[in-house]
Formats: sequence, C-alpha cells, structure tokens
Amino acid sequence: MNKGGAGGIGRGPTAAAALAAAQKQKTLQQRVDNDIGTLVDSFKFIVNVARVNDQPVRNSHEALMMKMRASRMVQSADSLLKLVSELKQTTTLSRFSTLNDHVEQRTEELNQLADETDGMLARIGDDAAASLTELESHYYSSAIGMNQIDNIK
Amino acid sequence: MDGNMEISVDKLPIKRLESIEENGAERFPNEVGYEERRLNLIHRIDFGWAVDREDSAKKHKKDTSATTTTSKDATKPWPWKSLVENLQAAHQELSVIIDLINTVEVNDAVTVAGMTRPKQLPNELLSDLAVSTATKLQCYRHLGKYFKQSAKGLEQQIAREARFYGALIRLQQNWKVKRHRMAATPGNEGFYIDLFDNSLYDPAASFRPSTMSTVWVEHDAAGMLAINLPQKAVRSLQFGFLCRNSDTAAIQASRIKAVGSDQDPAGECKKEPESDDDCVKNKHAILREVHRAIFDEQVFDLVNREAFNPSLGVNITGIRENYLELNLSQGASVFISLMPHKHEDRVADSADNQNSESALVRSEFFNDSNAKDRTKDPRKKSVFPNRVSCEIFLQQTFHEHVFVQAKKRTTSGGKMHSGQPTIDRSNLLGHFCMSLAHRIFSNKILRELDDLVSRVPYVHLISHPTWNSRTSSWTLSVDVPQSIIYASCQTQKSDKKAKTQFRTKVLVNDCIKVEGEGAPNVVGLFKGTSERICSINRYDCDLADLPMILLQQIASQIIRWLHAEALMVGIKANRDFLCLSFELEQGETLGLVAHVNPEDPLGCISWWLVMDDGFTEEGKLQSQISDTHNRKFLGHLSLDVLYSTLLDLVSLCSGGSNH
Repeated sequence: MNKGGAGGIGRGPTAAAALAAAQKQKTLQQRVDNDIGTLVDSFKFIVNVARVNDQPVRNSHEALMMKMRASRMVQSADSLLKLVSELKQTTTLSRFSTLNDHVEQRTEELNQLADETDGMLARIGDDAAASLTELESHYYSSAIGMNQIDNIK
Repeated sequence: MDGNMEISVDKLPIKRLESIEENGAERFPNEVGYEERRLNLIHRIDFGWAVDREDSAKKHKKDTSATTTTSKDATKPWPWKSLVENLQAAHQELSVIIDLINTVEVNDAVTVAGMTRPKQLPNELLSDLAVSTATKLQCYRHLGKYFKQSAKGLEQQIAREARFYGALIRLQQNWKVKRHRMAATPGNEGFYIDLFDNSLYDPAASFRPSTMSTVWVEHDAAGMLAINLPQKAVRSLQFGFLCRNSDTAAIQASRIKAVGSDQDPAGECKKEPESDDDCVKNKHAILREVHRAIFDEQVFDLVNREAFNPSLGVNITGIRENYLELNLSQGASVFISLMPHKHEDRVADSADNQNSESALVRSEFFNDSNAKDRTKDPRKKSVFPNRVSCEIFLQQTFHEHVFVQAKKRTTSGGKMHSGQPTIDRSNLLGHFCMSLAHRIFSNKILRELDDLVSRVPYVHLISHPTWNSRTSSWTLSVDVPQSIIYASCQTQKSDKKAKTQFRTKVLVNDCIKVEGEGAPNVVGLFKGTSERICSINRYDCDLADLPMILLQQIASQIIRWLHAEALMVGIKANRDFLCLSFELEQGETLGLVAHVNPEDPLGCISWWLVMDDGFTEEGKLQSQISDTHNRKFLGHLSLDVLYSTLLDLVSLCSGGSNH
C-alpha cells in the first residue's frame, strides 16, 4: 500500500485517495487487533480451564467452551492469513515507485546494451569488410584462384 | 396380602371431646404435632405383606437349597450371585420407599422436602476426580490434534501464497500485472498480464489490441503461478521467396518455428517438478513468445495496410487469410504470412497449411536442386538472399521506423540512431521490397563479376560494403606485377613512373554505374577520336552489357599501360581503342590487338599480333580472320607475357630502325 499519502492532505483526487488509504489502513489495523485479541483471549481461556472441577457438569461445559475457543482461534488465524493475502495483492498492484525505478533502470540497461550491440555490429561490419578485402586479395593471388582458372582452361 | 382386605378409616378432622369432668370441664385431646402426625401415618402403613413375602421366599430358598445340596456340591457357585442378591434387595427397598412416597403424596399429608445424597467415600471421590481429569486430558489432546491439523493447513496455504506472489512479483519486474476484480474467484485472484503496448496507440495506425494481449494468471495444483494460452493463438511471421524463373527454379522453404521442442505453450509446469526459478523463467519465455507473436501480428497488419496503398515497388499478386504474396521487380515473388507456432496447430489449420504448401516446396527439394546446380557449375550461386535475414530485415524496418519512432514521439527526447538514411514512414513496405529487389539484382551482378574475374587472372575483385540496403559497390583492380615494376625501374630512362594499378568501379543503386580511370572514353569513340581521354569515365549500363563494357575498360587500361611503358623505353607507339601499334620500316605497322569476348570459357581477353603493310584503310578494324599471314593469335596472355611481348616488339622496332 502506498502509505506516502496516508497522512497528507492534497487537493482533488489526491486528498480523497489519501483519506481512503487512511481509512483502509485503520480498518486493517482494527482487523488485526481483533484477530490477535481473539487469539490471545481464547488461548488464555483454554489455559485457565485446565483445572479439573468437582462437578462433571462444569467439566463438560468447559470442554465445550474449549472446543469453541479453539475453532475461534483457527478462524482468527485464517482471517489473519487472508489479511496478509490482501496486503500482498495491494503491494503487488500499488508499488509504483519501486516498479518505476526498476523500469527506468532496466530501460537504461537495455539502451546501453542496444548501444553496445550497435557498436559491436559496426565493429563486426568493419572487421568483416577488412577481412573480406584481405581474403579476396589472398584468394585471387593464391594457388586456389590459379587452380580454378587452370581447371576452366 | 393374604386376600383379606382390611379397611381402616381415619378419624374425622374435627375436635372430639375426649372426656367431661364432673365439674363440666371438657377435655379435648392434645393437638398432634406435624412430626407426630407423620409418624402415625407411616406407622399405619402395613409392611407385613412385604415382610411375609420375604420370609416365604427365604423359606422356599431354604427348602430348595436343602433339596439341591447334592447338586450344589457338584457345581461351582456363580460368582455374581451375591451381587444380584444385593441388587435385588436394593431394588426391593427402593420399591418400598417409592411406594411410601407415592402414598404420602397422594394423601397430600406428607410431601418430600428433599433427598440428600449419601456422603461419598474417599475412594469414590478419587475415582470421580480421576475420570474428570482423564476426560479433560482427552479433550486437550483432541484440541492439540485439531491445532496441529489447522497449523499444517495454514502452513501449506502460506507456502502456496508465498510461491504464487513471489513468482508474480518477479514477473512484474518485466510485465504489466493488473487485476480484474470482477473475475476474482476462489483460488483465482483475478490477476492478468497485459501485453498491449500503450505507447503504440496512434489514431492513424489504430492498432487493435490482439486477443493474446490479456494473459490470465492462475494457480496450478501445486499452488504455483500458471499461464494458460488458448490453442492456435500464438502465430509467427513467415517470409519466403517464390521464383518462377526457370534459371533459378529454387523455391526456398520456410522453416517451421517452434517455441521449443520441450516447451509447452500451455504454460503448465508438467513432467518433473521444477524449481520455482525454473518455473518463473519458463513463464518469462512463454510471455516473451506471446509478446513476439503480437509484434508479428502488428507487423503483418502494417504490411497489409501498406500493400493496398499505391506505392513504388509493391505489387500484390495474391492474398488470402493471413497470407500475402508480392511481386518484386527482379522476376521474383515473395510471400508473407502468419503461421501458427506449433506443428500440430499448423496441421490442424488446413487453410493456412494449404497456403503455405501451395507456395512452398519441400526444403529437401530445394537442397537437392541447389546441390545439383553447384555440381554442374560451382560458380553458380543462388541470387536469393537468405530467407531468415530478409525476415529479420522486415521486422527490423517496421520496428525501427514505427514502434521505436512512436515511443520516441511519446517520450520526445530520445536520441536518433544514425545508420540507415531517413525512410518515408508511409512506404516502409516499398522500401523493403526495393531493398530485396536490389539485393537480388546485386547478387546477379556479383555473379557476373565473379564469373568474369575468375577467367581473367590479373583482374581482382574488391568488394566495398556500403551498409546501405539499396547501394552496392565493387572494384575491378588490375595490378602490374612487381617483377615488371622492378624491371621497368631498371630500364626506364626517364624519371616518370608508369601507373601500376588500374581500377574500375561498379556502383549499383537504381542502375549500374561504371567508373573507369585512365582509359579512353569509350563513348567518346563514337563521337570523336580515341585520343580524347577523360580522367574518370562514368556511364550507365544494364546487366547484359556489363561484362562487355568491363572487359573493354580493362583491355583499354592494359593497352594504355603498355603504351606508357613503350614510351618510357623511348619507342614511339600509337594507341588505338584496343590496339597498340608500332611503326616499322617501310611504313609497316605491327600491332598488338586485344580481343574481348565475355563468352570465352578460356579467358575473356585474348591477344592478336597484327601486321599491317600500310595498304589497308586507316581506322578500319581487321576483325575478319581471313589472312593468317597478317595476324597471329597470341592467346590469353598474362601481364608478364604481355610486357615481354612488348619488349620484344620494342627491340624489333629498335633493331629495324637501326638497320
């Protein structure tokens, strides 16, 4: 989430976006608090009812409450996991500054690579031209060129 | 009960006078208290019948036990007998108590205030506690299993999400990742990758987004990111030559591009479990192939549009779906088409297959025909340029002048790459076709030059790469051998040095231009005298006349060189177009004449020695071989032999003059 504008006050859509971001941040924090609180409370309860009572009815009641608390703990953990997924999705879609920096860096690298490739191609062309000239002169003055003419004759 | 029913009647609940004393005082019975009244009522219940029954039962048992003493001695006692008897006794007592309670409640005189459990014994207390503890322990164990199971599931989910988002973030480094909220389903967050290039949006060009521009991202069975592409969606640009010329009846086959034999465009990580890095690399490769396919589609779209605009160098000879056939000016035709990427898709798509097969010949046939041509004449080469290089040139032309320019316009600050000259953006296809035609034409010229040079040993061919797609240049060079130069230095009397190198340049642009140096103006011969010399002669010609013109140029340069050498040794010689003549005594002339014949397989330039007795008409060329006494064929001489011949002629002329 782009938290840079979370507390800022801008004009027009920027202010609305900042307010929306702040509201969303608050909502997420509240969800986190609730889930963590549920986890802690449920765990406390489970630990506290470890004592065995004389009344079987009470023990049965506590057993039922323990199961209920355990399922609430798992639900809270699942809710936290979903919250983390939401944060990952938001990060994936909203980290513009990082992406822009990376794109610019990559563009610069590729432009440099393109320039180097162009230079390399030019050098290869020059080398090829020089090699062609040399090979031609060697060929026409060599025995192979002469043999070819003799074969034709 | 014995059957005799006894009835007892309660006293009426009125105060009865118990006695009257003599003095008249009435005595009433004392008030009966609640407890006393209750006890009285209980005492009224006759338990005699129950007691009698019990006694009779005991008596019966004793009788039976007496009669079966012998059997009991034989059998063992039942171990649970005492427990049964105790339970029966307890049941009887409970029955009595229940009857008592019901009776007193019916009479509404006595109500049960409460019942107290009898105090438990210590062992009973401990056993109850143990049971409760065990129950609670079991409950905690169940909770523990439940937590472990849940933790395992959550860990797997975390791992799956970590893999998915890690791969997605890595893909996001190079591709645009977007999200469609409406398409979000359980297990699919609605992510997709947008391959459409917004910088190319041009109302004039109006590129339509390809169907492959949106690539949906999904989860596979392992939770990893997966990309699914529709079949037959990925197509690539194909280019090929069609030749109807009988001389070069080689039809180049196009190769079937493949993404990779072991690569699945569907994008699923099949076979062996790949690492996350390999999987992401695989996805990058697939997206790159799709991106390239989109580029090929855009190029084909542009080619189609430009083909129907009247422009120079573009003639459409055939058109079908995803197929375009163009005619070049050098007797060759080319086709451009969009073909599916994989061979299976190509076989399934019969229309495209028919187009390609009607335009193509099997590559084996091409290879065979090419091999046959080479065995017949090794010098004969195909005039068609490499198919792949043409395809790359087509793509590069459109990429450089459409896509890159579009992006530079949007950024408005990029630097211009130098190299190719500025090309009219509206006629890129014309430029491409004309470049191809030029390449074919220049290959034909090169073949002619190579053929010519191979038959004249002292002529060397020098290529000059121009790095221009529509300009080619060569030079035919004649170098005087070093031995001659050395010998000439030894014998020359003047300080002047003869030219030792003669060059003739061939430049191909829209036509063939020949530039020769130091030779008589060939064209000027038809207008004036042969003495008219220009430092550089330039003239245009066509392919058919090129060998003859070049040979004449070379032969005239040699004649000029020989003339200069003769002058250096002090002999007066006359130079004609292709003839160097020496004056002998009595007006006779001895001439060294060059004869050029491009069709001569032994050598293109041959030499004749001609004797002129002075009675023939001046300027008339002796082309008819009728009198063998006046001319002698010297053959295809090298420069060394020519120079020796020249010296012999010089000595002959000198000897004759001395006489």
